[in-house]
Amino acid sequence: MSGVLVADHVTKTFSAGGSDVVALRDLSLEIAEGEFVCLIGASGCGKSTLLNMFAGFIQPSAGQLLLRGQPITGIEPRCGVVFQSYALFPWKTVRGNVEFGLKMKGVPAAERHRIADKFIDLVKLNGFENHYPVELSGGMQQRVTLARILAADPEVLLMDEPFAALDAMTRQVMQEELLRIHEQSRKTTVFVTHHVDEALILSDRIIVLSARPGRVKAIVANNLPRPRRVDIQLSPDFAKMKAEIWGHVEEEVRKHVEATRLSSAAG
Amino acid sequence: MTIGNATEQVANSGTNGRPKSRPSLIHIILLVNVLSVLAFVGLWALSTGLGWVAPIFLPSPSAVAAQASKLIDSGELWIAVLSSSRRVFLGFALATVIAVPLGILMGVWWPAKAIVDPFVSLLRPLPSITWIPLTILWLGIGESQKIAIVFMGSWLYILLATIEATKRVDPLLIRAARNLGANDLAVMREVILPGALPGILAGLKITLAISWSCVLSAEMVAAQNGLGALIWQAKDWGNLPLVLVGMVGISFTVLLADALAERIERLLQPWERHRRS
Repeated sequence: MSGVLVADHVTKTFSAGGSDVVALRDLSLEIAEGEFVCLIGASGCGKSTLLNMFAGFIQPSAGQLLLRGQPITGIEPRCGVVFQSYALFPWKTVRGNVEFGLKMKGVPAAERHRIADKFIDLVKLNGFENHYPVELSGGMQQRVTLARILAADPEVLLMDEPFAALDAMTRQVMQEELLRIHEQSRKTTVFVTHHVDEALILSDRIIVLSARPGRVKAIVANNLPRPRRVDIQLSPDFAKMKAEIWGHVEEEVRKHVEATRLSSAAG
Repeated sequence: MTIGNATEQVANSGTNGRPKSRPSLIHIILLVNVLSVLAFVGLWALSTGLGWVAPIFLPSPSAVAAQASKLIDSGELWIAVLSSSRRVFLGFALATVIAVPLGILMGVWWPAKAIVDPFVSLLRPLPSITWIPLTILWLGIGESQKIAIVFMGSWLYILLATIEATKRVDPLLIRAARNLGANDLAVMREVILPGALPGILAGLKITLAISWSCVLSAEMVAAQNGLGALIWQAKDWGNLPLVLVGMVGISFTVLLADALAERIERLLQPWERHRRS
């Protein structure tokens, strides 16, 4: 296996209320350098679990996860995470948040300042350097997390439904920003979402996970032309691919709905 | 209390630019506050002036005012306020210096909590006045005994507030910090300390009021000076106006200390500005 990021026969079991729940079973996948991969699937399919394992927040029950061939055994700063709920430090200003990763690396203050400025610029938050997160809107806060992780310069970006809490319009703007940033930086990115549209707009490749226990159900190469803008949604190719992916996802969503109905009937 | 709240609203509506009609309501509230106090003093003056209440049970407002000005002129009031304040400050500072680090340690490291918890459980039900006999035996009736009473009455509350505040720090933020490359020490300095600060400061503020009640009870039992001693000695001399002056003095001193604590709390947490308004 030669990918930057590899999941090798990974199984993850959680024990909940005395019984074991298998979140992922024997899942293998590989992510190449510079690739933007979207993980998509029904809720509860274990896509966030997989992301948390890549970040080293949790360990697999069987199998292993590799970053450039090395097993991931603890929290891995080379895999930078963008959280759905932002996870900004409320007591730090925008600048303080963006500089955090650099400070941890021991970068001198002047250098930190310069790099932070560059990334605050990139996410278009100039003028808000000295604001606290609580003073910003949700979309602006998510920009700060983006700038914070980009300034820390990890080898891989892991994004866990980062735009899920945003309204539809802000979400589109953020998708376009992310497209622009990714096409500039070409940083390897794993992006978890349950939006087929979002996956198609952003990705080079879409990995559809099956309903619990999660396994790779389908891998679809997304050949929509780059550089892209969110208006790619209007193209006929987009519609065709959306139908294809929805075909894979729908079956799994039905299974998930069925499973929850059965389990609630049993309970 | 009401006066305090009303002025706070004025301050807040100034900072976040609410409609200008707002302060007029604040002024009316303030006016009602003042009228309420004046009416109370008037009723008090009337009841003592007309002989409804005998002066040996309740002196007239003018007698209390005369006593107050005598005490202020002689400087005795300031000496009492200062010596009580000094005891509170030293006992409270000592309790803070010991209980805050211990509380943080207990919040992040379970063995520390397991070691100290039994003593916390045993000591918590004991009011600070129950320490008066032992502390007098060990320390005499000097300053250190008063400070010890304040300490014994304060440190547990500070400890409990600190443990709670430390445990409430959002684990997601700790995870995010580690993901950005923070080691244990950096997580403590950059996340746990600032994350726990609001809860710790809130605990300190509540405990400060408790510290005051500790010093007053200690002074009423055995002290030459201080506000507690002042009202206790006044009672022995049958000087009721002096008792009331002492009580009002305590009230104002504690209110002032509270306001000061509030200011410090705000200064230390600029990011909390907006949550309050």
